[in-house]
Amino acid sequence: MSTTSPGLLGRTVADPVGRLGLAVSAVLAVLVVTPMVGLVASTLRPTGREAWSDVLTGRLSTSLFWEPLGNSLLVGAVTAAGSVLLGGGLAWLVVMTDAPWRKTIALLATVPFALPSFALALAWETVFRNDLVGGRAGVLADLGVAVPDWIAWGPVPVAATLIAHYFSLSFLLAAAALATVNGELMEAAEMTGATRLQVARSITLPVVTPALVSGALLAFAEGVSNFASPALLGLPVRFQTLSTRLYGAITTGQVERGYVLALLLVGVAATILFASNRIVSGRRSFATIGGKGGRRAVIRLGRSRGPLTALAFALCLSTSVLPGLILLASSFARRTNSFTGGFTTHFWVGESDPSIAQGQRGVLLDPLIIDATLTTVGLGLSVAVGATLLGTAVGYVVVRLRGLAPVTGSLTLLSYLPFLIPGIALGAAFIAQFGRPIGPVPALYGTFALLVIAGIAATLPFAAQAGRSAIGQISRDVEEAAVVAGAGLARRGGRIVLPLASRGLLAGASLVFVNIVRDLSLMVLLVTPALPLLSVLTYRYASEGFAQFANAVTVLIVLLSVGATVLARRLEGPNQPWREAAS
Amino acid sequence: MSRTVRGAAATAILCLTLTACGGGSPTGAGAGAPAAPDPLDSLSTEELLEQARAEGTVSVYSFTSRIAAVEAEFERTYPGIDVVATDISSTEQIARIKAEAAAGSPGADVAYLSDAPVVLDELLDEGLLRNYVPPRVADALPAEFREPLLASRLSTKTLMFNEEAHPDGPPVQNLWELTDPEWNGRVVMVDPQIRGDYLDLMTEIVLRSEEMGAAHEALRGVPVELDEGIESAGEQWIADLYANGVVLVGDTDSVNAAVGARGQQDPPVGFTTYSDRRDNSEENRALQAATEVAPAPGIAFPAMIGLSPDAANPAAARLLVDFLMGDDSETGGTWFEPFYVPGDYPTRDDVTPPAEALPLAELGTWTIDPGASAGVRRDVADLLLTLG
Repeated sequence: MSTTSPGLLGRTVADPVGRLGLAVSAVLAVLVVTPMVGLVASTLRPTGREAWSDVLTGRLSTSLFWEPLGNSLLVGAVTAAGSVLLGGGLAWLVVMTDAPWRKTIALLATVPFALPSFALALAWETVFRNDLVGGRAGVLADLGVAVPDWIAWGPVPVAATLIAHYFSLSFLLAAAALATVNGELMEAAEMTGATRLQVARSITLPVVTPALVSGALLAFAEGVSNFASPALLGLPVRFQTLSTRLYGAITTGQVERGYVLALLLVGVAATILFASNRIVSGRRSFATIGGKGGRRAVIRLGRSRGPLTALAFALCLSTSVLPGLILLASSFARRTNSFTGGFTTHFWVGESDPSIAQGQRGVLLDPLIIDATLTTVGLGLSVAVGATLLGTAVGYVVVRLRGLAPVTGSLTLLSYLPFLIPGIALGAAFIAQFGRPIGPVPALYGTFALLVIAGIAATLPFAAQAGRSAIGQISRDVEEAAVVAGAGLARRGGRIVLPLASRGLLAGASLVFVNIVRDLSLMVLLVTPALPLLSVLTYRYASEGFAQFANAVTVLIVLLSVGATVLARRLEGPNQPWREAAS
Repeated sequence: MSRTVRGAAATAILCLTLTACGGGSPTGAGAGAPAAPDPLDSLSTEELLEQARAEGTVSVYSFTSRIAAVEAEFERTYPGIDVVATDISSTEQIARIKAEAAAGSPGADVAYLSDAPVVLDELLDEGLLRNYVPPRVADALPAEFREPLLASRLSTKTLMFNEEAHPDGPPVQNLWELTDPEWNGRVVMVDPQIRGDYLDLMTEIVLRSEEMGAAHEALRGVPVELDEGIESAGEQWIADLYANGVVLVGDTDSVNAAVGARGQQDPPVGFTTYSDRRDNSEENRALQAATEVAPAPGIAFPAMIGLSPDAANPAAARLLVDFLMGDDSETGGTWFEPFYVPGDYPTRDDVTPPAEALPLAELGTWTIDPGASAGVRRDVADLLLTLG
């Protein structure tokens, strides 16, 4: 169908998928390009131009950019590698093997992502903190164990806490992909004498590669842009990353430098994205959901069953239950982050007492909290639906529109960018963009709609990556059969693509929900008192030094996130890979 | 409170007249020429109240969550006027006010924020905020807290120590001692690269280079020797402090915990907020301010209040500013109560600071001049960058 039209545009328009691509591009232009243009424009004014040279070439460039860049890349790469290794391994154990309690492991593995990243950093501090910076030492130091500085502070703990956070992201994506591995293929391979390793290398791995790469990219981007972990565990030893530099530049009034750093971050990530795209597109044939169903074969672990299960449990418990308990316990602690000063339920159900936290009521008695919970859930759901629809469209176009590299390439890049724009810059750009009426669209500032739109833009990376790896597994044959039968694009989407990709998309949607529920940096500029959000309340309590209230609200956020993840699993119903394999 | 209401009733007729002839469309006048005095600026509290009642609402951005208490008290004092408060940090307020201006979207009527040097530089000078000094309190305010932007109170970033470990008083008498091997790795502060008030502290030390030089001579008997690329005694002190392994953390509470936690053998000292001392018993800490430190233990900096030049509720906005400055009693009364904490200092000289804390003069901090800071702040930030 593409041979008759000469130009790129002609070919694009001639193809229904191409037309969808154009529509999606237009949406992305509004959601992503405009804020980016705003960023670039503000760095091209005179003070901004100075910022470019300061960051890149001046005497400050080493400590402002190059060193933090090196640290960020290191943290990002280690986070990505660690997350994929642990998350992928766990997904394999849960989906493909006969390990016991797979359901429990699967559930626990989804929790860390629902925890705020500072919870994990806090948990690390509680255990490993040494006396380098004074104050209370951690549990180990209390027991008389000398904790070396490199375990207590710097790149090792930063990367470790980030891996503990993001491996569950890789797990979700990889598990969804593994669940589609065709059992017949594996059986066939085994019958023809392939070893277990060969099966893994030539059948399993190719199928999950896109999901693994997606997981790695997301973990990398989050690892590079995370602020809480390096601020808590890196700063005391002056371990600076791009995110701490960027945050610092913006908070100390050097906004242009912050934006320049953000743009450079975008550039670095784009390079890595293109490189990994190459790796993925080198192997195209990993479509596994064909017209025929396949029963999955279960890999028998034999003697390694016990140890592997124990390892998986250790990993999950130390990254989900332990930090969760620490968070919960510290919301009951009479003194901030101290488990020796007694406990109280005041911060949960206490009546107003002027001597504690300026008379703040316990969170469960505060009508504001109920209001905020409802708004937060409503926002999370709206954004999850919106972002998933858009992300699926992006994924569909990127996967199906072969031969139009400029279109698919730019869509991939655009859908990944919001990750790298600092939340506060994105928020400001959205106010500037939607603050005034545009044509028929009224001024959206201060409305719920603006929160939803900004939320969709910010979580698009998750939704698009999930959409892409979900669509990538649906064989083209299935759709071609439908085309022959006369089904149009919309009908194919509703009847074939969405149902078949639903497992991966649901996983993606729950990621989006979780991300929105605990997002702060973007929403803090956009919310108004009429629209209170739980995460903004947490911040408010934390910034006033009411750590217990902050922790209590964080526990609420965690309950919402974990609840959503569990619910998403339930909705998948009998399609749960581990349940199916168990029966 | 009832006094105010009665006063308002008595002047109602006068107010109506004023509204009719002078204050009819203050929004347009204010927006067109931000420098021009607004007729509303000279109205008394009672006159403002009458017009504010007609507006019925006022919105405020605040960098402190204590605005919730102000909101409740204001609505009790002036029933019928709804306060809509948004609690966001100064940094975020600055970003938000700029973005709102770019979008032409009305933001809050009042902004209550710190980060004075940035506020003056990027909001006041750009006409995104305007100054309003309530006539009721103008005479009680020293000039530097009236202009260029109204300041309601001072907060601090000052050197504090652990009084459990040092019962005989501060272990340091001169800032230069912090650069000695004895204090290597035992001075804690928030990274000035991520928090504006700590950058203000470093900036003030550079601005006070003369005093820093004198303090060096007093301690060591010789003038400061400047390293290559270092231009003043203040800069040299910062460079030496960094070379001496100063510990940088992400927030003030980490400093408080590191310095103040009880049961420490050899606790560090650190720069933090004096008023945080009020949490000592609740948090089992022994934080105490180091006084009589040469040349000064730290800084006091203002919390500022500005009006939106396009305030949708110009009279209610002014009424709220008037309220935030405290009532006519000696403590500022219930209006000021949320901010009446030991270690914070009201700017009004007719309000007695809380007794439990040292008077500002005895604390000995430098009070920053935001205008002067704005000029050198960036250079200091750059110096800090080269130090890592």
